Amino acid sequence: MNHIVVTYVLYITVSVALTIWVAHTLHKNGRVFLVDVFHGNEALADSVNHLLVVGFYLINFGYVSLALKLGYSVASAQEAIEALSSKIGMVLVVLGGMHFFNLYVFSRIRRRSALLTAPPPVLPDGCTMVREPDAAGQMPYRQFQIR
Amino acid sequence: MRTLTVLFDANCNLCCRIRNWLQAQTKYVDLDFVAAGSAEAAARYPLLDHAATLKELTVVSDTGEYWRGAKAWLICLWALRDYRGWAIRFSSPELMPLARRFVVRVSSLRFRFGYHGT
Repeated sequence: MNHIVVTYVLYITVSVALTIWVAHTLHKNGRVFLVDVFHGNEALADSVNHLLVVGFYLINFGYVSLALKLGYSVASAQEAIEALSSKIGMVLVVLGGMHFFNLYVFSRIRRRSALLTAPPPVLPDGCTMVREPDAAGQMPYRQFQIR
Repeated sequence: MRTLTVLFDANCNLCCRIRNWLQAQTKYVDLDFVAAGSAEAAARYPLLDHAATLKELTVVSDTGEYWRGAKAWLICLWALRDYRGWAIRFSSPELMPLARRFVVRVSSLRFRFGYHGT
């Protein structure tokens, strides 16, 4: 086996291992976050978590296989290590970018759900009596309700 | 809070247009529209100062709290799904004076956009 084949094999092994490790971390730690966002609905949280991780795998493996080709020949072990290092460096940067993008998506979902339960932003100017027509169309007096 | 009643000026074209826009939005809290100073408004809220509701936008919740002017506008935005974030942003101490100035300006200009009341 020449240097380039060894480089490729090492590149694939390391990249796949890194992708699996990052996806596993995301899957394990993202779950708590999603359960909170979906108000304790664990089935929905697990489902969304799984779908996010599948997308993560697809994009990363896609990138790893697209970036496999080196484009120049490698004569010595030194050049092989240099080539491997730059390739894996790119994979790491892409993984990092994807990871932060995922965190951004998580925080966006969380912010959206925080809005749903947000109290009125301004205090009322006062409190007045409310009369609403009942089923018979009458206007009964209603007690003050002050929260 | 389930419903907010908006007491809007039914004589003002701009106000009616804004009401139509509000009605078309997706909401977190239902908005109910009653003409300010009308008999229905008086029947629902017997203790409210109805002369003031014709000067400034007033929003009353189903539990009786009411907001006037800029606060009422922010409460309307807060009820909308796409604008709740904006309402919270504009209610900060830094931006609230700006919102208040803007609302006063629009309220005083609203007669220019067509007004068919007395």
